[in-house]
Amino acid sequence: MGVPVKPGRAEAADIAARNDSPAAAGIVRASFCRPLAGPALAALALPLACLLLGTDYALGQATLVATYAIAGLGVVLIVGQAGQIVLGQGALVALGAYAEALLAAVGWPPLLSLPVAVALGACGGAIASLPARRLGGLYFGMSTLAFALVVEEVLTRWSGLTQGAAGMLVPAFGGGGWRAQTPLAQFLVSLVALALAWMACRRLLRSRLGRAWRAIREDEAAAAACGIDLARTKSAAFILGGGVSAFGGAFYAHWIGFISPEQFGLMLSFELLMLVFLGGVGRLSGALWGALVIVAVPQLIAVARDALPGEGVGSAGLETALFGAVIVALVLWRLRGEKRRGGSLR
Amino acid sequence: MSAARALFLACLLLGSLLSATQAVAQVAAPGVSDREIVVGSILDLSGPAALLGAPVRDGMLLRFEDANAAGGVHGRKLRLVVEDAGYDPKRGVLAARKLLQRDQVFAFLANLGTPVVMATMPAIVDAGRLHLFPFSPHESTYSPLHPLKFQMFPPYQDYMEAATRHMVKSRGYSRACLLYQDDDYGLEVMKGVESGLAKLGQRLVERTAYKRGATDFSSQIARLRSARCDLVVLATVVRETVAAMTEARRNGWAVDMLVSASGYSSQTHELGGAAVEGLFGVSVLPLPYADGAPPRLAAWIGRYHKRFGADPNVWSVMGYVLADLFVRGAEQAGPELTTARFTAAMERLHTDGDFLGSPGYRFSPQDHLGSRQGRLAQIRNGRWVMLTDYLE
Repeated sequence: MGVPVKPGRAEAADIAARNDSPAAAGIVRASFCRPLAGPALAALALPLACLLLGTDYALGQATLVATYAIAGLGVVLIVGQAGQIVLGQGALVALGAYAEALLAAVGWPPLLSLPVAVALGACGGAIASLPARRLGGLYFGMSTLAFALVVEEVLTRWSGLTQGAAGMLVPAFGGGGWRAQTPLAQFLVSLVALALAWMACRRLLRSRLGRAWRAIREDEAAAAACGIDLARTKSAAFILGGGVSAFGGAFYAHWIGFISPEQFGLMLSFELLMLVFLGGVGRLSGALWGALVIVAVPQLIAVARDALPGEGVGSAGLETALFGAVIVALVLWRLRGEKRRGGSLR
Repeated sequence: MSAARALFLACLLLGSLLSATQAVAQVAAPGVSDREIVVGSILDLSGPAALLGAPVRDGMLLRFEDANAAGGVHGRKLRLVVEDAGYDPKRGVLAARKLLQRDQVFAFLANLGTPVVMATMPAIVDAGRLHLFPFSPHESTYSPLHPLKFQMFPPYQDYMEAATRHMVKSRGYSRACLLYQDDDYGLEVMKGVESGLAKLGQRLVERTAYKRGATDFSSQIARLRSARCDLVVLATVVRETVAAMTEARRNGWAVDMLVSASGYSSQTHELGGAAVEGLFGVSVLPLPYADGAPPRLAAWIGRYHKRFGADPNVWSVMGYVLADLFVRGAEQAGPELTTARFTAAMERLHTDGDFLGSPGYRFSPQDHLGSRQGRLAQIRNGRWVMLTDYLE
């Protein structure tokens, strides 16, 4: 971040879109199709996982992968596109989860409650971005960390509304007599939600605002010199990224069925950050790949552990060590791949 | 857009195919075969509660191995499958699905941590599996009455009410105060203490909270001291108990303190040393001290140490006792083990304490909570000493 690099695919597509040459059309096609290769591969892996793991188990994993991917898309917008450090994204997920849980509890249908959850996440993003007017870099990142702590504290203290640390039960997703209670229904709902969030983010990335974010990411001074309002553009990233993450949080609340403030602590924020950096913070598909690693790999390790000879029940340390090894291997593999392509790890 | 749409349709098709195959897959009582009974457990083997999860697992393993060495339950060997959730409900949900579908467990035993329990219990019960003796103070683990839910750990509220009442009545305190962890655990203890005091016409004189993981209690102790408390009830865990009591003693404040069962641990006096001498605590199951243990308990401690290379603690005892209740229930259910027969057997199960010092557990068709009692203990000469029997 901060080091100028040659234009990425999205930039090339922006340039190409303004030309009519066949080569330009090819770039546009490639830039559009390549990010979809990730989801397509993931979809192909699903039947295999169902056969290997069992349908409900695999669908349960796929549901959480999709939900975490939605939350991760918000981080991609803020960190990958606008180049801002955010250490408290878990708080925005929490706002979406609590808004949805509270409204669903009083009988609001998802079509009404989800927009409110997204709006609350966007408001949270706007508040979290306020220090960006004065702070930059790591100092601003620290302020988002403080924001996350404040949100967790408010959720704990405001027990009249949130039932505080005791947590609250969340009814199943649905309305009008239908409830998504089976793993299949939950998976399909989260898939539709991911597709919606994905399309919205793609539109944003290709818009004027998306270009402004990337300009800020590469060089703030140059972006300002081009007439980009830095404060407003950064705020927009937080507002939209917050809304997307809150959208993911709303579904998380339904799938887990019980939320408490501790679930949205700093651990979740760091998990989301790790998720997008593992998957590739500069691409939307990075959120999906990262979610796959964060959610599914520990489960695959647990399954593989059962196949090992000896006492499966005594190998908890082995699981954690294997997960750590997988993360390190992935980072090294990505680093090599990016270097070969002449880019940086994002 | 067309690629995304095609992807969505493919998944839809795949989903409907898979749900059709799944319907065929489910047949007889899961987890029970002619040769074995498979039991699942979602514990913390990593994360903040890992120190609890490992001994609970070992205690359960030891009881199952004892049962298997004695020929099993009606000829069936018991097999325990443990999944690690690390106090993360997301991992808990996935672990529950794995145990339900891949391992086909007959029952879930001792799932650990309220967030994990609350996130996994609906799926477990919906799948028709037993949800037995979870480590969570949440009332929904036994109430409202449900044929698949049984709990053996007394709720904090119940035993803290009895303990507070006993302490205040027998020692004549008039200014009871509370230091509590700011979460569901702390709130449950608070309810019990308030209710116990209310029955004696008293109220909490002062209460002050801390956030989980806090290490500095100077402001809380100063506040309690300025309120001139003569009994401080601690809704703390081990490290916080030691820190709070050390802070009070360092300032020369020799107030009596009573900690809930979460602070009743050998680590409390090992870490606290002289500072925690005289601390009162509530025990729901006694610590297994090797020194001066009766022969049967000493032999058990020796076997545990030999098997796992570590001394047992109160969590190991809990794991052993709850696995013992499962074994007794399965034995009473008879050779044709089904979930319904197990439930019926559990509802008739009455136990009378054992060599580990557990209370008698009483289940009935109207009450699936086996015990509501704790007993008072005190740290004297660097170890917990029982002061009373189980308090009504």
